[in-house]
Amino acid sequence: MLNRGTLIYIAQRVVLIAFTVMVVSFGVFVVVHSLPGNAFISDRLHGKALQLLLHQYGLDQPVVIQYWNWLKGAIHGDLGISLVTRGAPITPIVLKELSVSAMVGGAALLVTIGLGVTFGVIAAIRQNTWVDYTLTTFAVIGYSVPSFVIASLGILIFANWLNNVSNGAFYYPLPWQGTYGGGGLSTLISLSLPAISIGLYTSGQVTRITRASMLEVIQQDYIRTARAKGLKSRRVTVRHALRNALVPVMSIMPSTVLGILTGVVVIENIFTIPGLGKEFVTSITQQDYNLTVGVFTIYAVLIGFANLIVDLLYAVVDPRIRY
Amino acid sequence: MATTTYMPEVVTEYAGGTVAREQVSLWRDGLRRLRRNKLAVVAMGFLAFLAVVTVVSLFWTPYPPNAIGTCQGYTFPSPKHLMGCDDLGRDLLSRVMVGSQVSLVVGLATAFVVLVVGVVVGLVAGYMRGWVDTVISVIINIFYGVPPLLIAISLYVLLGASLVNIIIAISATVWMDMARLVRGQSLSIREREFVEAARASGTKTSKILFAHIFPNALGPIIVQATFIIPIAILTAAFLTFLGFGVPPPQADWGGIASEGFSALASGFDPYILLFPAIAISLTLLAFNFFGDGLRDAFDPRQKR
Repeated sequence: MLNRGTLIYIAQRVVLIAFTVMVVSFGVFVVVHSLPGNAFISDRLHGKALQLLLHQYGLDQPVVIQYWNWLKGAIHGDLGISLVTRGAPITPIVLKELSVSAMVGGAALLVTIGLGVTFGVIAAIRQNTWVDYTLTTFAVIGYSVPSFVIASLGILIFANWLNNVSNGAFYYPLPWQGTYGGGGLSTLISLSLPAISIGLYTSGQVTRITRASMLEVIQQDYIRTARAKGLKSRRVTVRHALRNALVPVMSIMPSTVLGILTGVVVIENIFTIPGLGKEFVTSITQQDYNLTVGVFTIYAVLIGFANLIVDLLYAVVDPRIRY
Repeated sequence: MATTTYMPEVVTEYAGGTVAREQVSLWRDGLRRLRRNKLAVVAMGFLAFLAVVTVVSLFWTPYPPNAIGTCQGYTFPSPKHLMGCDDLGRDLLSRVMVGSQVSLVVGLATAFVVLVVGVVVGLVAGYMRGWVDTVISVIINIFYGVPPLLIAISLYVLLGASLVNIIIAISATVWMDMARLVRGQSLSIREREFVEAARASGTKTSKILFAHIFPNALGPIIVQATFIIPIAILTAAFLTFLGFGVPPPQADWGGIASEGFSALASGFDPYILLFPAIAISLTLLAFNFFGDGLRDAFDPRQKR
């Protein structure tokens, strides 16, 4: 499968990703640097002292030159230094936050695909029954109720009503407050609420498209042939129908990934999960330029490669597709 | 208000204009199908109710929405204050009523901006092809390469806190879907005979785009536009919930929900969070069901 053509295709895509990341980072760089004020506003410096500080961090140079300097570092994996903390290197910070966000986002992706594909297949098999109507309505509710509402309700039920209130504040056992990456069951439980809050939204769309494409595939001749051969109904559904029905489902995966990343930004701020989304909101309010640009850059790289993987998976699901 | 009158307007305009009679009955047929869809009818009913509430809130609310101390802070819902009061003793019902203004304005205005930008960009890209199309497609793909909420927040911070800037920021994150859809339509319609005929008879490019190609892509465009409304309202709710909202004291649902969330975090009852949350959820549900009904009725080929 990984022949020469595929490799050339991957190489082209990687070049395209690099180009996108450069354009995105430049755009964000210009935007954050043209905001009024700067990261040192809390120091109440004026005149010469402020000028010296700006000079020390190279902020008095033209934006394009600053970007060029930043880009030279970024190519070597150095995303610059944080201004608010006066010089903490950003790359390790962002990578650690990425690992946290990836955990949340990965769990949300599992919820999305698990719920979405299961519900879609069941709804299609039981077309026009109450099961179908219930599941499709549930799908619309899923992408109509904002994730912060589901998250708040979850906190209300599990933290407030189920006796986890301590001193009138939330007690929601997050694995990453102090004991990040504790592992085991507690991580799983505390990850589930953020993951479900994010995943319900995206799973709604997956349910609908899975149902639609299953309905189309089920009517085809080769499914009837498989049935006529006397194959078990479940085997026909999973092996023959679902595999082909997954191709359209793959096509919405890029928008699913975007939906999950948006959800992660919101949910991390609700649960105070120290991930990329929370860092982004903090950094843009504090005008910590390099952090904002760094988070954007990581996201752009992430989305680029996520889309590349989706496109390569097409060929795995449907062998007729070649690159 | 505008949503419920949206379709008939289009229909009459269409019927009086360029089309033959059989196709008028196609639109009528669609309307009939829409009316038979119970969920869509209920959704339209709710949206009409919401429109009335919004208009009423412009002139009258039970209490002034921004008046502090109409009752004790955190007063539980009672007959006098149907939704209770927030931390500053502002009447929550009044604030939720006024909050509908922001949601509806953001939803409808964004849909309109995206409609204009997306249609123009998409038509041009699909009709011109060549390097114009390549450049536009690359720009679209770059926008798809960043999480939309981050673009919206950055633009919001750059432009400053105001309702108009929220609309601009959200439009910048959702115009691509419309542009891509119209581009696809434009690419296929430009190959049809009547476009070739128009070109051969020396019609101006702008007239070909807007008088020949655009009307023939109208069905999918309208359907897509109705789905932009809930997406815009949702994104606005995210923005305001995260603190990037309309300037205070103006009330909006995401902002009230965010206040309610902090109240919940300090151990107060959840009603301040629940009422705006229910309002947003019902509104989004209604727009989504209405959009679904519209698509099933007017664009039966498109499947999702």
